[in-house]
Parts: sequence; structure tokens; C-alpha cells
Amino acid sequence: MPKGLIHSKNDDVCVATTDVRKGEEVICAYLENPSSYILVKSEEDIPLGHKIALRDIKKGDKVLKYGRAIGEATKDIIKGEHVHVHNIKSLRWGK
Amino acid sequence: MNTIKGYVRENGAVGVRNHVLILPLDDLSNSAAIGVSKLIRGTTVIPHPYGRLQFGRDLDLFFHILSGTGANPNVAGAIVIGIEENWANKVADEIAKTGKPVEVFPIEGNGDLRTIEKASRKALEMVQDASEKHRTEVDISSIVMSIKCGESDTTSGLASNPSVGVVVDKMVDQGATVMFGETSELTGAEDIVAEKMANDVLREKFMKIFKDYDNTIEREGADLLGSQPTQGNIKGGLSTIEEKALGNIQKLGHRKVNCVLDYLDPLNKGKEGTLCFVNTSSAAAEAVTLFAAKGSVVHLFTTGQGNIVGNPIIPVIKITANPKTAAQMAEHIDVDVSDLLDLKISLEEAGERVYQYMLRVLNGRLTRAEVLQHDEFSPIKLYISA
Repeated sequence: MPKGLIHSKNDDVCVATTDVRKGEEVICAYLENPSSYILVKSEEDIPLGHKIALRDIKKGDKVLKYGRAIGEATKDIIKGEHVHVHNIKSLRWGK
Repeated sequence: MNTIKGYVRENGAVGVRNHVLILPLDDLSNSAAIGVSKLIRGTTVIPHPYGRLQFGRDLDLFFHILSGTGANPNVAGAIVIGIEENWANKVADEIAKTGKPVEVFPIEGNGDLRTIEKASRKALEMVQDASEKHRTEVDISSIVMSIKCGESDTTSGLASNPSVGVVVDKMVDQGATVMFGETSELTGAEDIVAEKMANDVLREKFMKIFKDYDNTIEREGADLLGSQPTQGNIKGGLSTIEEKALGNIQKLGHRKVNCVLDYLDPLNKGKEGTLCFVNTSSAAAEAVTLFAAKGSVVHLFTTGQGNIVGNPIIPVIKITANPKTAAQMAEHIDVDVSDLLDLKISLEEAGERVYQYMLRVLNGRLTRAEVLQHDEFSPIKLYISA
């Protein structure tokens, strides 16, 4: 059963649909086509509802969810890491 | 096409509740209004902190909200109590245009006790009269409803909001009217909302409202980081306003937005399905209060981390897709669609679950917020008083 869901095909992040423990292999299914998925090894504990990086993201890169930029990486993020306010920021506010 | 059993009011509008409202015009009249509600069973009192020394557009909005609340089809009759007679009459005259019974009781020259006695005698009659109003079968197209999310998290954008989107499509297709708002929480997705507008005139009106809001924030020298997303949103996994807004708009469904209302614009319900943007704050109680004042008779409220808001005159149906919230705050949650996260049900099935529950509430089933007496009434205030 998937433990994560991805909104759109080019998204950089997967949303954990259950609490995920460090080291777990997480099946992240695509909402648009749930039979296809990305397997990602979690680098840290990720609470339900929080995001996991599906690929390495460089500092300054835009981070995609819903197929849209939801913010910009404030540091390098590696695949499997927790993506949250400590490593991404809004493009609008908090400049 | 579905039908429901509702109360057809004097002006033809359909309500789904049957309140006798005790409406204090101002903060000073709360005590007398509460006094009446304690004496007369079956009345609904809505105390609030405003109504003195307001001016300009802020005063207009205050009157709009008070008279709209009294005029709401869920209200059978209203009693307005105010320290001065003139302002109370202004609100009562607007309510009276619906044809429903409304009476004013001024406190000046009477004092609280005499006012409470006179108003209670009238309230007694109104409650008895209201008790003889019966539900009759009406087309669901006569329903005006509203939607909003609160204490959102990523489960809102994944599951509960899209489920509401299914209901919105279904209601608009059947000729009903749906209102949405939350101007500040569209930031980052305002272009998508603008694209959903049915024509350029609506698009320009919407973008002007959105930019005016943006300018207000800038004029205050404020940065909404820290307020938007809220601490609750962040705890639930939302990182930025853009992410929150993209999740928020999942509940709008797929129909064109064919109506845009600024704070003071009245809703003119047509025969065709209507999806309407209303300029509101994103604060739960303020937004639901304004939707009710514009004529909404039922509200679908999605929550991730567990917002508990209710309203004194319209049922607020709480929906979550967060399994922890559904378990930990079960007494607040009417509809749990968390099995959508495990892909155990389809989005259409989740939407149908919400829709069927809403039909029961329209027909009279009380929501959890109603049973828990969550009677938040919060008029939006635009600026300081004189």
C-alpha cells in the first residue's frame, strides 16, 4: 500500500499519508494514476502530511507540487529528506 | 435532480433551520438580548462586540452583516434590541423586506428590565408561530451554500478539498448557488482562480479585489509570513502560502466562476447554477458569518488539523481526511474521508459521501457543531472606530 501520494507528474515532493520512519522504503503513488509510483528511502522520520523529496533539489531551485512552484529551496535537499519550512520558503512572502 | 425538505419563507427563499433570532444591534445590548434568550426557550441569540461609533464602509458592512443575518432564510423571525432606536430600525427595516416578522426594542428610555420584558413577550409569540412552520419538499436548486477550509494541512489539498469540489460541481449542475472566499488564502493560486472566471468583467473585478488586499498588507508594512501559513498549517506539513492556496482551490470543483461579490455586494440568486467568489477574510468565524449574511443556509468546512468553528444560524458540516484528526477530535467531525488517502475509495465516492451527508443535514439532521453549541458570530471589521 502506498505511504505517500504525489499530485502531478513533475512534482519534486511526495506527501506522507502515514507517519514514516527513517530508513523506510516509501511507495509514493501518483494521484493521477495510482498504479505508477516512485520508491523512495526515507532519510529521516516524516510525520503524516509532511513532504518527502523525490529527487535531489539544489539550493535556489523551485520546488514543484501540484505541478507548480510552491517555493524555493533555501539549502540543498537530497532525495528522501523532509521538505518543510527549514529548507524551502515562499516566493511571495518572507523575503 | 434531488429534492430536500426545507422551510419556504415569505419571499420564496428556502431555509433549512427555523431560528427565532434575538439580535443585539450593539455591544451594549448584549445583556438584554441574552436576558430574553434565557427567558424564552427556542430563541437564538448572537452577541457580538460591535455597533458603536463605526463609520463609512466599515459601518455599511456592519449593517450589511446584521441585516443579512436576520434576513437569512434559516431565520423565521427576528427581534432587534439596540441602545438607540435609529440604528436598530435601519437593520430591522432591511430584515422586514423579506416579509418575515421583525420587531425593534430600544433600551434608551426603558432600561434593560423593561426591554427584556417587552421583547420576551414578543419572542414568546414568535417562537410559537415559528413552531408551526413546516418543512416542505423543494428542489435542491433553491439552496444557497458556502465552502471554506480551516486549520488546513496537506490532507486538505489531497483529499477533503477535492471531495468538496465534487459536491460543488454537483450542486452547481443542479442549479444551486455556491459561495467561496478566503481572499488572502488564494495568494499563489490567484491566477488559477482568475482563469476560472466566466468572463473578463468578473476576472478584472476579482483581480482588483485581490490586489486591493495585497496593497493593504503592503501599506501596513506587514509580511504575512508567520500568519499565512498558520502555525497549525505548518504543523500539518504546509510550508508556504503557495502550497496552502493550491490545496485550498481544490475544493472549487471544475465549473466556471460566474459571480464575484465584494464585501457589500448582495447575492442575487438566479435560476442557473452559480459559483460565486466573495471577498472575505480567511478567519473561519468571520468568513462563515459573512457567507451566512449573504444568504448561505449550509456550510461545508474542511479541516486538516481540526478547526472547530460553527455558526449560530447555519449548520457547519466538518469534513476531514486526516485520520489522526478524525480520531482525536471525533466529536467535531461529521464526515471522515481519510480512506481516500489509502486509495480505498475513489474521489467520486468520497464526494458522494459528503453530498449524502449534506442532504441529511439540509433535511434537519443536526451537525456536530450545532450539538456542541459552536455559535461563533464574528462580523468582519474593516478599520478602527471613531
